[in-house]
Amino acid sequence: MKLMPPKRPLQFLRWFCREDYLDEIEGDLIEVFLKQAETNPRKAKRVFTWSVIKYFRPEFIKSFKYPLQSNTTDMLKNYLIIGWRSLVKQKMYSAIKIGGFALGIAACLLIALFIQDELGYDKQYANGQSVYRVVGSVNGNNGIERNTFFPAPMSAALKEDFPEVLKAGRYNAGELFGAGSNEVRPGDQIENSYDEGFAYFDQELADILPLKFIHGSAARALEQPNSIVITQRKAEKYFPNQNPVGKTLVVNNEVKPYTVSGVVENFSNTHLPFDFLISTQGLEFWQGEQKDWGASNYAIYILIDPTVNPKELEKKISKGVIDKYVLPMMVEGGMSEAEAKRFMQEKNVHLQLQSLSDIHLYSSDVQDGFVHGDIRFVWMFGGIAVFILLIAIINFINLSTAKSANRAKEVGLRKVVGSERRSVIHQFLTESVLFSILSFGVGLLLAWALLPYFNALASKTLLIPWTQWQVFPVILVAAILIGIVAGLYPSLYLSSFQPIQVLKGSISKGSKSSPLRSTLVIFQFTTSIVLIIGTFVIYQQMEFILNKKIGFEKDQVVIIQGTNTLGQQTTTFKNELLKVPHVEAVTVSDYLPIRGTKRNGNQFWAEGKSGDDESVNGQIWKVDHDYIPTLGMKMVQGRNFDVNHVTDSSAIIVNQSMAKQLGGEVIGKRLMNGGKVSWTIIGVVEDFHFESIKENIGSLCLRLGNSPSMISVKASSTNMQQLLSNLTETWKKFAPHQPARFAFLDDRYAAMYADVQRMGRIFTTFAVLAIIVACLGLFALSAFMIEQRTKEIGIRLVMGASLKNVFGLLTFNFIKLVIVSIVIGAPIAWYLMNQWLQDFAYRIEISWLVFALTGMIAITIALLTISYQAVKAGLANPVKSLRSE
Amino acid sequence: MIQQQSLGEFEELVLLLVAALHDEAYGVAILENLEAKLKKKVNISAVHVALKRIEDKGFVKSRFGGITEDRGGRRKKFYVITALGKKMLDNQYALRTSIYQQIPKISFG
Repeated sequence: MKLMPPKRPLQFLRWFCREDYLDEIEGDLIEVFLKQAETNPRKAKRVFTWSVIKYFRPEFIKSFKYPLQSNTTDMLKNYLIIGWRSLVKQKMYSAIKIGGFALGIAACLLIALFIQDELGYDKQYANGQSVYRVVGSVNGNNGIERNTFFPAPMSAALKEDFPEVLKAGRYNAGELFGAGSNEVRPGDQIENSYDEGFAYFDQELADILPLKFIHGSAARALEQPNSIVITQRKAEKYFPNQNPVGKTLVVNNEVKPYTVSGVVENFSNTHLPFDFLISTQGLEFWQGEQKDWGASNYAIYILIDPTVNPKELEKKISKGVIDKYVLPMMVEGGMSEAEAKRFMQEKNVHLQLQSLSDIHLYSSDVQDGFVHGDIRFVWMFGGIAVFILLIAIINFINLSTAKSANRAKEVGLRKVVGSERRSVIHQFLTESVLFSILSFGVGLLLAWALLPYFNALASKTLLIPWTQWQVFPVILVAAILIGIVAGLYPSLYLSSFQPIQVLKGSISKGSKSSPLRSTLVIFQFTTSIVLIIGTFVIYQQMEFILNKKIGFEKDQVVIIQGTNTLGQQTTTFKNELLKVPHVEAVTVSDYLPIRGTKRNGNQFWAEGKSGDDESVNGQIWKVDHDYIPTLGMKMVQGRNFDVNHVTDSSAIIVNQSMAKQLGGEVIGKRLMNGGKVSWTIIGVVEDFHFESIKENIGSLCLRLGNSPSMISVKASSTNMQQLLSNLTETWKKFAPHQPARFAFLDDRYAAMYADVQRMGRIFTTFAVLAIIVACLGLFALSAFMIEQRTKEIGIRLVMGASLKNVFGLLTFNFIKLVIVSIVIGAPIAWYLMNQWLQDFAYRIEISWLVFALTGMIAITIALLTISYQAVKAGLANPVKSLRSE
Repeated sequence: MIQQQSLGEFEELVLLLVAALHDEAYGVAILENLEAKLKKKVNISAVHVALKRIEDKGFVKSRFGGITEDRGGRRKKFYVITALGKKMLDNQYALRTSIYQQIPKISFG
């Protein structure tokens, strides 16, 4: 028996030893071993192992850096040249690879910009991490209700009672108080112009954030009564090319103007969309308002000691405020202390501290009067971006592996002349990085070209930050990384070819449909199908919202805004309007069943009841006699207000949901609202949606009153152009210095669902994009498959197969994949869209029709994509394909 | 000229053997001769290290022999002394002899 040296040490030696020394060393070692083994095999093995270990020293260890150090750059150059040549040679495939990739990358870039913008809200403030907004949370009828409205004296109380609170500031943006939107003009001019973004703002809040002042004193600008701070863009609008500090602004033609005390940088990337900050100094909206714990109209922001744990402070503040201020107030209102405590516990009333940077994305359930971003949107966008990129990468993988037959010979030859597998992998990775970089270039251009459209889609004003130097390295790194990811599988696959087999031509890999490729195609189509179903569901829900019976007639109603400046003339104006041709009815009220008009919250008691247990929470709207007919609402019981009934000044009309809460039969009953005031219920109006359809219809009552900022005009004509010019004419007679401001009720109603519409458009866009990219891939893949089978098809045709047979043969495999995708995609889409619909109190059912329609669309698109190639193959003259061998 | 080229003691021994074995000098042959002369065990790796070093210094040059069966199919690498190596040995030898002759004839008993 011939003894062999121990295996492991030998392997180890071969692994680490320099190639050029290995022959000598291994040979000598084995010779020594064999000689020694004749006398003492054990010792020989020991000595052998020991010797191997002794060789493990720098002189003998091979360089692990690069096996071919000398020619890396030359090879890289060669790889690039070959890559470029194959790119140019296969124009269609390259165009599809790059085009699909570029589309995916453009989508990703845009979405990345969007996400970056969304995540960047409120990050610009110096003290940001220590600033918190106070949020109140109550378990209400519709689940947890959170809002940011607090009593005027609370902010001072917080600062006084809790040493951890360093600063506390408030703003009040209530329309009721003259904030929100107003008619404005500089003191020395007479033309009013409409503007939004008014708020009463504490000096201390300006300190907390802090605001960046361009003109005026940052520390004292809001300290003087009647002073106003405006943003830069408003300064440019009203006081072009001058320093506005010290100038005056007249709001709503009021006698007393505001003095501009400062100009701040525009509010951008913040949840606070203000342009006019009015000093709260010396302001009191009614006698004792600033000390009144009973009315909640102020949002409070606090700056806390950075060393304090906000969670603990939150509990402390919550308990402190409730014990010291809220409970005593409830006791004063007639409850026993035990009752009050029980109530607070039952409703889980407490305060929360919301960090400044969380406000924009995590406030979808907080009522604060703003429209916020939504972290779910960010996730959804991000998810879509990833999936579209994946689809594009899959195209790349599928096409590269499918086309592998064309490169097989090249790989074989490279290996024969001494390429290692590693070098072949390098080659194909280099190639895919080349593709990726080209695609990024095209993608960047595409993103740049599509940006305006995307901005409209997402209602943003994003810019590609060309000027920031970080952009290019980041994009280059991303291009290389994505190139490597996309090229990894193809290069591993291509480099695995055995040179003998490919050179003999016995295998042409890629012609068979590999399971991996099928899986990838299924993945692409599943994603597309989910997006298509999503689009359909969103549009159906939107249709449902717009056409639902909402309890009032929103069509052909013109709202004239800013009419409060008419003052005493309102009634005359109303009568003049009625004389305009085609005007059917006119009503004066700021309370309209659309977002952005006045709202309030009140507690009501049926007569004789008080305390908390029997109360009904609801709104009370000030309307006039013509409100119900003008808006086409229906009375279900009782009567509307009547000019001839003098007692109607204390009459009230409730809606059905309020009537139900009060116990059904309500006509003639009396309703109390805190203490002295009481009304007689004279009618019940049919429920109408006055908040978003996402919510259930709440309790509401209407009473006669003066709220003159908006006048609604119901017209019988559909010629709105004519009507508007007639209305303008009438308006000019009354207010020659104020441009007439019209809005249509149905527009404003639709605007409430702008987010739904936006989501619908986003889904459409990305669904289309996904299906385009997927189809590009399918097109190329089918073209290639058919190319591979040219001879087979030729023979079939010669044997008498019809075009139909060939078509069926070629398309069946792909259609099968699409059908599998539908089966997988439908339940996923169903689940996701049901989750989305949960947001709406009134929603559609997802019908099977959606799935059927989507399935048909997917199959049709796929068929159309493949059929061009399939028909071409079926119509080709078989002689041509069979002649050459 | 020979600059400050150094030659260690073991290296010198190996170089001497390469010269002595002329044309038949490869790892194992050197090892065996060395062990016979020194009358102690030497590890083959030490021989290889010395060989590489004197080759780098230009005292020997090498060539591959043919493939033989009993070495696991590995070729032998044969070493021959170069002119430089010979000169180095001559110098060493001359140096030692000249110093040796300076030793006074004293009995070291």
